[in-house]
Amino acid sequence: MKRDQRYKAGIISSLIPSKFSVERWSYTVHRITGVIMVGYLMAHIFETFQLGGGSTAWANTMAALHSLGPMEMVGLWIVAGSALYHGGNGIRLVLNEAFGRLMGKPILPVYPYSPTSLGRNQKIAVWTITALVLALWVWAGVYLLAGIGVI
Amino acid sequence: MAQPTKEKEGSLMKESWNMVVTYVTAALLVFVLTFHLLLHSPLAGKAFEDTLAFGYATGNLVYYQVIFGVLLFTAVIHGFNGLRVIVVEWLHPTRLAWLLNVLVIALMAFFIAVGTVTLIVVG
Repeated sequence: MKRDQRYKAGIISSLIPSKFSVERWSYTVHRITGVIMVGYLMAHIFETFQLGGGSTAWANTMAALHSLGPMEMVGLWIVAGSALYHGGNGIRLVLNEAFGRLMGKPILPVYPYSPTSLGRNQKIAVWTITALVLALWVWAGVYLLAGIGVI
Repeated sequence: MAQPTKEKEGSLMKESWNMVVTYVTAALLVFVLTFHLLLHSPLAGKAFEDTLAFGYATGNLVYYQVIFGVLLFTAVIHGFNGLRVIVVEWLHPTRLAWLLNVLVIALMAFFIAVGTVTLIVVG
């Protein structure tokens, strides 16, 4: 297989989640939430730039955002969820990759091979973070969406 | 056969330095971004709509200028370096790696400049 085709096969297979492990799911969601937040960051920097134009410019910006209707708050809720997951999972990754925590002790490679990175501590960390993030995301949803009557 | 580049003992390769930057900015972001979100949360004692008022937004930018400056720099550096890592992992650019680096640095500089102008003008 040519080099370019091999890379394309890698991209396509990385988009098929049927055989993802817990760690692979957290890797994928970490990247998706990261891209969402960079998109929002760029828009947010331009949005905040309008503050320099005074209260009228800011009021016009807010009016333009409010014209999106419920999508404005739904969008913010998605960004809030992205920030919560990316931050929580990021703390796990820093502990894991930078400080070698949650890795477990090395074991002999015995068939069927099970990566030590997917050990008990890692799985507990991933599921704990997911539960905490979901709880905080629901809280953020109530705060953001209840104010505009969506829920 | 090409000899591998000798790294000074104890030194880090380029990508390793990138990861150090990623981890340091990530650790800072956990604190400053949490602070930013708390200013717009129920803990601020206001409805969300009220936290978007001109007076409240400019007041926060003036009063917490240093924190928002740190947030701007860390978020932009962490975010665009993260995008670069995703592109590198997916496409493995070799000949165009320099172009990707230039593009990412240019975007970082642009958004940091826009954010810094905001902080200076409002401040």
